[in-house]
Amino acid sequence: MSLTQLRAARSAAILLVVALVALAGCSTRVTRMDEGEVKDLSGNWNDTDSQLVSKEMIGQMLEGAWASNHQRAHGGKLPAVIVGTVKNLSHEHINVNTFVADIERAVINSGRVEFVASAAERQEVRDERKDQDVNATEESRKAMGKELGADYMLTGSINTIIDAEGKTSVRYYQVDLNLISLSDNRKVWVGQKKIKKQVDKPGMRL
Amino acid sequence: MIAPRLRHFPLLLASVLLTGCATYSATMGEMERQLAVGNPRAALEALEQRGAPERDRALFLLDKAMLLRLAGDYAASNAAFEEAKTVMEVASVASVTETTGSFIINDATRSYAGEPFEQALLHAYAALNYLALNAMDEARVEALQVDARLQALADDDDEPLAQDPFARYLAGVIYEAKGESDDALISYRKAYQAYKAHTKVYGAVVPAALQRDLLRLTERLGLKDEHARLKEEFKREDWPARAGYAQNGELVFLLHNGLAPVKREHISVIYPPVSSQVVSVALPYYEERSNPVARARLTAGDAAVETELVEDINAIAKATLDDAMGAITARAVARAVAKYKVTAQAKKENAAAGLVSNIAGLLTERADTRSWLTLPGEVQLARLLLPPGDHRLKLELLTAGGAVLATREFDVHIEKGRKSFLSHHWIPSLPAGRI
Repeated sequence: MSLTQLRAARSAAILLVVALVALAGCSTRVTRMDEGEVKDLSGNWNDTDSQLVSKEMIGQMLEGAWASNHQRAHGGKLPAVIVGTVKNLSHEHINVNTFVADIERAVINSGRVEFVASAAERQEVRDERKDQDVNATEESRKAMGKELGADYMLTGSINTIIDAEGKTSVRYYQVDLNLISLSDNRKVWVGQKKIKKQVDKPGMRL
Repeated sequence: MIAPRLRHFPLLLASVLLTGCATYSATMGEMERQLAVGNPRAALEALEQRGAPERDRALFLLDKAMLLRLAGDYAASNAAFEEAKTVMEVASVASVTETTGSFIINDATRSYAGEPFEQALLHAYAALNYLALNAMDEARVEALQVDARLQALADDDDEPLAQDPFARYLAGVIYEAKGESDDALISYRKAYQAYKAHTKVYGAVVPAALQRDLLRLTERLGLKDEHARLKEEFKREDWPARAGYAQNGELVFLLHNGLAPVKREHISVIYPPVSSQVVSVALPYYEERSNPVARARLTAGDAAVETELVEDINAIAKATLDDAMGAITARAVARAVAKYKVTAQAKKENAAAGLVSNIAGLLTERADTRSWLTLPGEVQLARLLLPPGDHRLKLELLTAGGAVLATREFDVHIEKGRKSFLSHHWIPSLPAGRI
C-alpha cells in the first residue's frame, strides 16, 4: 500500500477504536450472578463473608449438645430460642441481619429447634392480636398471654483486627455467637467463625 | 490527515472545554446564598442543579451529605458520606492521565481526594449523624474508622497537620460513652499529642475539657505517674469526680460555628519582553468568612457553661494550603513553561495558531479552588453534668464582646450515667466576600 493509503487506514483504525470505547460506556450492563459465586470488589465485608459465617454457625449450632441436653432435661420438648442483638464491634458498617436470618431459617427447618419472634418483630404481632380482640369472631380470635416464652437467647458480636501498611492491609474478622439460658444465665453454646483477608490497593490508576 | 500547523489545536480545544471558564468556588454562589438565609433544602437543590463533573464527585457528595445533615435527614446524610468514602478512596490513588493533565492544563483536572483534615472530619460528622440517630454502635464504627484513617496518615507522612485533634477527641468521647475507658484514654492521649503538634503550627490551645478528661481517666484507671505528670503540666485541680458521673448524665454540646474558608485564586500575568506571548500563573489562597459569633453559652436551669474551641478549621485549612504551596507553585511554573513551549512551536508555523494556543493556555490556567465549603469554620464544645430527666436548654450565641446575637432552645432527655449529644450549626446570615 502507498503512504497515503497507510495513513488513511491508520486514521480509520483510530476512529474505530474511539467509537468502540465511546459506545462501550453508553449503557448499563447487568450480569446475573449465582448467589454462591465469589466476587470480592473492595475488600470490605460482603455477601460471601456473610454466607461463610452462616454456613459455619448453622453447622456448629446443630451439632452442639445443648439441644439434646435440653430435650432430655425437659421431657422431649424442643428448645425455643429468641434472637437478641448481635453487636457490631468491627470497623465497618456490617449488616448482621443477613447471616442471622440465614441461621434462623436453616435451624428452624432442621426441626430440632424452635425460634420465637424477636423483640423487633413481636410488637407488630401483638398489635394484630389486640386488633383481633376487638374485630375478629369469637372462634378465630387468638387469646393474649399465650405466647411461647423462649428458653435461650441468641446474642453475639463481630470483632475485627486490622493490620495495614501502605497499600496492603490484612483484615481479620471474628464472629462470635452464643446461646444464653434465660432461666439461669448459663451459656450453653458458643459458635465462632474467623475470616481473614488480604487487600492490596492499586498503586496507580489510569 | 490533519494539517501539521493545527496539530495541537484539538488538545487545546479539549482542555478549554474540559475545564470551563470559572473556578470551583465561584460557581457555588447559589448554594451559599441559600445556606446564608437558613434554607438547607433549597441549598441542596441548588447543589443538585449545579451538578459536578466526575472528578469533583467526592466534593459534591461531601457537600450533599452536610446539607442533608443540616436539613435533619441523618440517614440520607450518612448514605452520602458512605458513597463519598468510596469515591475518595479511588481518587486518592495517583492517576497517570490526571497527573499529566495537571502538568499541562491546570490543577483542577485531578480528581479531588480531600485534604487529610477533610477526610478525618468526614468520619467525625458521620459519627455525629449516628449519635443524633442514637445508633451508638454505628458511631463507634466511625470512631474506629477515624483511628484507622489517622493511623494510616501518621504512617504515610510526618506532617503534624494530618492528625486531626477534634476527630480523635470525638472518637475518645464515643468510646467513653460506650463504657470503654481504656480505648477512650488512648484516644484522649493521641488527641492531646495532636493538639500539641498543632500548637507549634498555628497556636492551637489544648481544650480544658480534654485536660479534665485526661486527669479524670488517668485517676480512674489507676495510672498514678501519668496522672501526677499531667496534673503538673496542666496546673489544674478541678476535674469531675467519679461519683458525679455515676449519679448524673452528661450533655455533650457541639457548636459548629460559621463556614469553612473559601479558596480564591490569584492570577499573575507576565508579558516576557523577548517573546510576543503572555504567560499567566494562577495560585489559590484562602479567604476566611466573617462570623460575628465568637462563642456560646449553654444554660440549663441554674447550671451554665461556655463553649470552648476544639477545632479551628480556618487555621488548619490555611496551614495545610501553606504546606502544599511549594508543590502547587512548582506545578504552576511547569505548566507555564509547557504552555510557553507549545505556543512558541505553534507560532513558528502560523501566527494565528500561536495566538489561539496562547489564549487557550491563558483560559485554562485556573487555580484549584476546590474545598469542602459546607464544613464549619470552627467547632466549639461544652459539657454539662445534669441530673436525669427532661431538661430545657437555652443556647445563647455571643459575639467577642459578650453581646447576645441569637438564642435557641432545645429539649433534651438525660439518662443516669449516659452521655447525650447535641449539635448546633450556626451559619452567619450575611455572606462574606464575593459570591
